[in-house]
Amino acid sequence: MNDQMNDHVHDRMSESATFTEQLQDRFVETQKSLPGAHESWVRVLRKSAMDQVVSQGMPNTRHEAWKYTDVKKYLDRLLADSVEMPSLNVSEEMLTAFSFDDLDSLRVVMIDGKVSQALSSLKNIPAGVRIESMADMFAKEPDVIEAYLHDQHVSGAFAALNNAMMSDGVYLEIPDGVVVEQPLHCLFLSASGDSASYHIKNLIVAGECSQVTVIEHYASIGESTAFINAGTDVELHAGGRLEHYKLQQSGSKEVNIGSIRVHQHRDSYYHSHSVAFGAALSRRDIHVEMNGEGAECALNGLYLVGGRQHVDHHTRIDHVRPNCRSRESYKGVIDGRARAVFNGKVVVHENADQTDSAQSNANLLLSDQAEIDTKPDLEIYADDVKCAHGATVGQLDMKQLFYLRSRGLSEDEARNVLMFAFADEVLTAIKVPQVRKYLERIAFEKLPHGAELDGLLG
Amino acid sequence: MATNEELTEQLKSREYEAGFITDIDSDTLPPGLDEDVVRAISAKKDEPEWLLNWRLEAFRHWQTMAEPQWANVHHEAIDYQSISYYSAPKSDDDAPKSLDEVDPKLLETYDKLGIPLREQAFLAGVKNVAVDAVFDSVSVATTFKGKLKEAGVIFCPISEAVRDYPELVQQYLGSVVPTGDNFFAALNSAVFTDGSFVFIPKGVRSPMELSTYFRINAMNTGQFERTLIIAEEGSYVSYLEGCTAPMRDENQLHAAVVELVALEDAQIKYSTVQNWYPGDENGVGGIYNFVTKRGECRGDRAKISWTQVETGSAITWKYPSCVLKGDDSVGEFYSVALTSNYQQADTGTKMIHLGRNTTSTIIAKGISAGHGQQSYRGLVRIGKDAEGARNYTQCDSLLLGKTCGAHTFPYVEVKNSTAIVEHEATTSKIGEDQLFYCQQRGISEEDAVSLIVNGFCKEVFNELPMEFAVEANRLMEVSLEGAVG
Repeated sequence: MNDQMNDHVHDRMSESATFTEQLQDRFVETQKSLPGAHESWVRVLRKSAMDQVVSQGMPNTRHEAWKYTDVKKYLDRLLADSVEMPSLNVSEEMLTAFSFDDLDSLRVVMIDGKVSQALSSLKNIPAGVRIESMADMFAKEPDVIEAYLHDQHVSGAFAALNNAMMSDGVYLEIPDGVVVEQPLHCLFLSASGDSASYHIKNLIVAGECSQVTVIEHYASIGESTAFINAGTDVELHAGGRLEHYKLQQSGSKEVNIGSIRVHQHRDSYYHSHSVAFGAALSRRDIHVEMNGEGAECALNGLYLVGGRQHVDHHTRIDHVRPNCRSRESYKGVIDGRARAVFNGKVVVHENADQTDSAQSNANLLLSDQAEIDTKPDLEIYADDVKCAHGATVGQLDMKQLFYLRSRGLSEDEARNVLMFAFADEVLTAIKVPQVRKYLERIAFEKLPHGAELDGLLG
Repeated sequence: MATNEELTEQLKSREYEAGFITDIDSDTLPPGLDEDVVRAISAKKDEPEWLLNWRLEAFRHWQTMAEPQWANVHHEAIDYQSISYYSAPKSDDDAPKSLDEVDPKLLETYDKLGIPLREQAFLAGVKNVAVDAVFDSVSVATTFKGKLKEAGVIFCPISEAVRDYPELVQQYLGSVVPTGDNFFAALNSAVFTDGSFVFIPKGVRSPMELSTYFRINAMNTGQFERTLIIAEEGSYVSYLEGCTAPMRDENQLHAAVVELVALEDAQIKYSTVQNWYPGDENGVGGIYNFVTKRGECRGDRAKISWTQVETGSAITWKYPSCVLKGDDSVGEFYSVALTSNYQQADTGTKMIHLGRNTTSTIIAKGISAGHGQQSYRGLVRIGKDAEGARNYTQCDSLLLGKTCGAHTFPYVEVKNSTAIVEHEATTSKIGEDQLFYCQQRGISEEDAVSLIVNGFCKEVFNELPMEFAVEANRLMEVSLEGAVG
């Protein structure tokens, strides 16, 4: 029995070894055409990241961080050629489905991993604020982004692969003291039907006491089977505030993996909302490092999955300095044969006294075929701290259900009202009303019988 | 606030009271481990063929396994070839029939530990407790045997059970913790020397609490205990286990396996006070305590309850678990763990819900001081068919000092939509507002700290049988004493 198991491990190891070799071959082929190839630091960064991928191997379920998420059957997509030109002509009208009513926003649209200048609209950008394509930054001003990228140490094979193969993305820079009123809507659309892979890299540098809202929005048109491997790096200088929305509405055959790395300086405030509705498999690693006193972060998340979807959130908050505060609340509704994974880690480093941290993860399981695996971790190396976490798995409260039924709601209506209320608690934290409304509508429709009961939402 | 610092100071310098070495000749195998050693152990114990084969199978399996690295503990690599796998007091050749025949030096050891073997003096006058005292590896004295026999309860060293009740042992040994379960369980299966065997027949309520004291004595010998408790339909037993060990400079390995089987309507209550030598204030020496404990509720409405007070050992690696197979079965885990100086503990439990309407409760309290590092690692798994399963988990950590750590790694895996699982954890130091409140009412700072620590542990101590609650309180007092009174 165990011999068999060992054999499996060997199989997998040799398989993934040959896979990473193939991946490396592909990297060598495409390396020259990737942006920044003329810069030596970029080449060094890509090379060392690729070496990390090879030495580490692609994740499998024997890895603790990937215990519940098996990516094996999708990995081949990483070897497919990315499309030269979008096969589908995306028009302005097609984007209306992914815009937020009357919201006055700045918009960058990326089609199949490339920024489309024609579809993007960047009017009235405050002076000094820069919104560029990452490919352009690599080509024309590599020095500007060098400081943030050149000696990046990432954990995880996908984050490393992203560094090795990153091609395009959004670069946002806000000077000290500037408040950007309009939210920046970054729409990442998959429009090609091919199994292509995109390594998107976004970089947000928010100056001292600056303020901005960024919406990172993944969606698809048509039957995309893309493998998206995104990386978003955030540098939040002293007193800076960032509202960061990540909306994942990928097509049902897509794989959407990505990491968000946030580096917070003193008194800065980072608020993340991660909402996952789509994709066959999606995974987000969110890592916030609070490296300055008085920093504060809040991570909210909502996942609504059904069918055979798989959704995985791994978050890590590092309290490196004293007097920082973190709040985390993730909620999930899991139906059908779907599986959800949550892992929230809070690390309080030595001397990070007066840390105040709270974390919670609540789940509603709607079907016996659905599964939830949750793991809220705490690692604490300081004593003057206040840390708490909690996780729950349960169903709707029968008493509440009865109350609504007695007021004349049908069983389905009552269930939906309660489920929606459960999920909406996360959405109420969204500060842009148009975005909230947009998400509430999708959330409601995702619920069983939601589409029929749309009227309840008002 | 001086109190926490004082407390830390006191904990740092806390002396191990039970540290002494009894000098008696041991019949010890030379260090090293191969098939011959396994055969030698089996031969020394006069074991039947099937058990030897069982051991050899475990040994061969062990050779293919790697030592687990996932626990949040750090130690020098263990050289399994430098350990002697068998050590028995000389007097084993002529096993004592009564206490009078027992090596007096041995009895003295227990006296020093304040564990008089003599019935009347037992545990400061607490009567009706049978002790199967394990000195190093061979059980040397057993009391109250007659009374238990009358009730039909079998309580004896496992080597004796192999001889007298081979079919029972063969039926249940390794049925809860298979030989290849994990690295240390496989090692234990190959080389276990002794331990306790308990069998409670159908419908019998054990007339007294069963209790065993373990002790590591001879230099450089690991202790590989094997405990097997079987509670037949409708029976009840409360089993107590306590450990102390003499002072050592070299790390000693302790890899025990405990298996519990509860059939329909049976109840097993298993309590542990563990006070192995934790190493000195520089983290030198101390016991490595890598234990596999697991109970199976095989029948409907069975109940298994683990209670543990862990104050000793340099490194603890221990997850008493419950497999809830029977419908309506119940699993409980109550734990207080204290780490100070350079102690490390990675402990917790696993609750595997398989049957319908199964319930489990986990209350884990951790106190960390000095350079102590403590992790709670737990798993709650609700299987596909575990309709109506319920779990409540609470783990709280109290931090005393700047250099200690407290970590929580709870795994929750739910595959049934009717399950209700709750997990809560908090970590904090003693609240200054709490201290202030007490002091404001005329309670001294020291008393206040003592009061708060006591309150923190109370929920777990309440679960201990009376005799043990006394000992546990004493242990915590010793551990926290100077600072609080």
